[in-house]
Amino acid sequence: MKRRSLALRFVALFYVAVLVGAPLVLVFQRAFSPGLDSVWHSLTASDTASAIRLTLVVAAITLPLNVIFGVGASLLIVRHPSKFSRLLDTLIDVPLAISPIIIGLALELAYASNGVFGRALAHLGWQIIFSWPGIVLASAAVSLPLVSREMVPLLREIGDSQEQTAATLGAKPARIFFTITLRSVAWAAAYGATLTLARIIGEYGAVLIVSGNITNKTQTLTLDIASNFENFATQQGFAGAALLAMISIGVLIVLSLAKQRERKNYEYHD
Amino acid sequence: MSLVILIPVIALVGHAFTGGLPAFWDAITQTEALDAIRLTVLVAFATAFINAIAGTAIAWVLVHDRFIGKSLLNSIIDLPFALPTVVAGITLVTLYGPYSPVHINVANSWVGIMVALLFVTLPFNVRAVQPVLESMDFSAEEAASTLGSRPLRTFIYVTLPTLVPSILSGMGLAFARAIGEFGSVVFISGNEPFHTEVASSYIFALSQDGELNSAAAVSVFLLVFALVVLGVFGFLSRRISQRIQ
Amino acid sequence: MSITIEKVSKSFGRDEVLRSLSLEIPTGSFTALLGPSGSGKSTLLRLIAGLTKVDSGRIWLNGVDVTDVPVRERQIGFCFQNYAPFRHLTVEKNIAYGLKVQRRGRREIASKVEELLSLVQLSDFATRYPHQLSGGQAQRMALARALAIEPRVLLLDEPFAALDAQVRGEVRTWVRKLQHDLGITTILVTHDQQEAMEVADKLVLLNKGTIEQVGPPSQMYDEPATDFVRSFLGPLTTFDGVSIRPHELELVPESASSGQVVTITDVVRLGFEVRVVVDDGADGFTWVQLTHDEALLGNYAPGQRVRLRIRRESHA
Repeated sequence: MKRRSLALRFVALFYVAVLVGAPLVLVFQRAFSPGLDSVWHSLTASDTASAIRLTLVVAAITLPLNVIFGVGASLLIVRHPSKFSRLLDTLIDVPLAISPIIIGLALELAYASNGVFGRALAHLGWQIIFSWPGIVLASAAVSLPLVSREMVPLLREIGDSQEQTAATLGAKPARIFFTITLRSVAWAAAYGATLTLARIIGEYGAVLIVSGNITNKTQTLTLDIASNFENFATQQGFAGAALLAMISIGVLIVLSLAKQRERKNYEYHD
Repeated sequence: MSLVILIPVIALVGHAFTGGLPAFWDAITQTEALDAIRLTVLVAFATAFINAIAGTAIAWVLVHDRFIGKSLLNSIIDLPFALPTVVAGITLVTLYGPYSPVHINVANSWVGIMVALLFVTLPFNVRAVQPVLESMDFSAEEAASTLGSRPLRTFIYVTLPTLVPSILSGMGLAFARAIGEFGSVVFISGNEPFHTEVASSYIFALSQDGELNSAAAVSVFLLVFALVVLGVFGFLSRRISQRIQ
Repeated sequence: MSITIEKVSKSFGRDEVLRSLSLEIPTGSFTALLGPSGSGKSTLLRLIAGLTKVDSGRIWLNGVDVTDVPVRERQIGFCFQNYAPFRHLTVEKNIAYGLKVQRRGRREIASKVEELLSLVQLSDFATRYPHQLSGGQAQRMALARALAIEPRVLLLDEPFAALDAQVRGEVRTWVRKLQHDLGITTILVTHDQQEAMEVADKLVLLNKGTIEQVGPPSQMYDEPATDFVRSFLGPLTTFDGVSIRPHELELVPESASSGQVVTITDVVRLGFEVRVVVDDGADGFTWVQLTHDEALLGNYAPGQRVRLRIRRESHA
């Protein structure tokens, strides 16, 4: 039995090392082998630098929108169930199952200047597709479910007895919301927000279609990395890739720490 | 929210059927379309299957074994989920393509595509099974061993049936992700029409060529297909877990 | 503070949970709302609290009609079965919550919290978080939190149900004493008849949304108004075709002059109490409740033949 479990352990480790570990190592090796200087150079080159800027702007706009939406939708779904909120619940999960290319295509069809809505918006002087608002929409679409998927189960589990207690203690609804409701799901919201941020920064397929991939104008970092790689500016591409990989690792660390702390908070010592 | 989901979905479906059913049918029965869909579905199934086995094994090790670096292993499993797809894409093609440092070249073939899909779907299979393993009490297995059953036998006849629903559900998720995957696959596959072009690449190519209605048609088909498969996996998973209760 | 409930009705969908119920609760009393699941007792408590609104009828607190007054203005203290702690706040911040809502000064809050912490014997746990407390401690914190706002009435919704049996008994006794010392009108909801009888001055037995009987526990036990009350409040067995309490029966030797001859089939020793199951040869089994000493003297064992009769001093 011991020997068999040892063998299984090695097989599992080997599989993960080869499949997941090797690529991770390679990213950093390729990025850093010519030295830190080269990495800095790559990241500050005009196309990459403006891609980084655009990515940050998009994230700064999309993240708060999706978090507020996610929190609101979760509260609606759990605390005020209705046919509408059930529909909302189903629709929110849609982006999870769809290819990002299809999401991008759908957005383009809906909002391109010759599209149904695009035409109306174009009259107002707004261009959505092939411009940054389209990227915001695409990022919002792909990361939409991430906050509510964390919050809904938690809200369901803790129930509303805390809110009811606060009411008996004299608190008005607004006060209850801010001091009790939000605080009790803060961790889940933060967790979801982190996942959302990671997704926004890392999205490729949907943004590729919706942005038009115009260098220095509508390229996010992911698009920049891809175009560098395709145009044999391999070094530059890997520098950007290493940056994203580091962000991903950072996100993973933050999330696993959060999970550990959360688990401690919810068990009673009886 | 409707801005971001409802309207685009309506637009998508609308464009898919502009020109009516004949145009829709035409778009999805193009040889290139069928080849792309066939390739995608087959590789996605294979991936889901292989990773179901690997994922279950890894989950088992994570739950039952104790060794240094186990928590590192646990965290690394989520990496394909957190890592942007382009990063995976360019890295995999560098590692396993024509300039491979380990002299493995599976680029421009379905093998390369499968490696990429195995990478991105691994977390789904592991995380689907892991919580079930963690909360299992092993009394049934202990009873089996007191009755003389050897470990492998116990695993196959006692443990596995309990795990099947979650394995199936993980496979469903992996499959859904795999047939839509783009960023990590597009580099290593080579995108050769009729040969190594996956469905998402085909749709992308159509959209770049301005054939938006055809792209919409193939997309809708792919979506419906994915929904049906997800539904089947979910149904099987629920049915089996009911039988076990 | 006295509470008057006047012809209150409440339905959830098609479920009529309370039917035109009227009740008076005197100031300073410890009242237990007792009944099986679905009898409406928790609903009634929540209506008094204002957590749920009545469909019809009125509720008066100290002579004031509060039927349309929101829960936060009713000055009631409420404790849930699951303690409902504010998990993200420390024990002392939990207790201070209501005081902060009242905008009391920082020093005033601190001294009140300290006072309450020592009242519920949690002074050493002030800076801990609820998940670090045991069930009994968490419930005491919940009580302190409710008492902090000096409520006019304390409402407890099955507060001991989630506790271990031993802890339950201790906390119960402690709450009884607390209520007695503070004199605050208290209503306890429970399905445990023993618990109700142990702590309450006044028992309200509910069944399917209506009141079966109201009164002091001992009176209700000895003089039940209906069969339901009788069977709910205590154990019953049958003897001679009549329903009777097992402790109102006794066993005497076969040689005695009165009583029915029966055969002992089982002797169950529960420590303080011994149950002797007897067969009267006809269709029924009857069981007799004896004290530990009575059983010891009688030296009963299965297979023995003895005589079964009603005790002279019983009410039957």
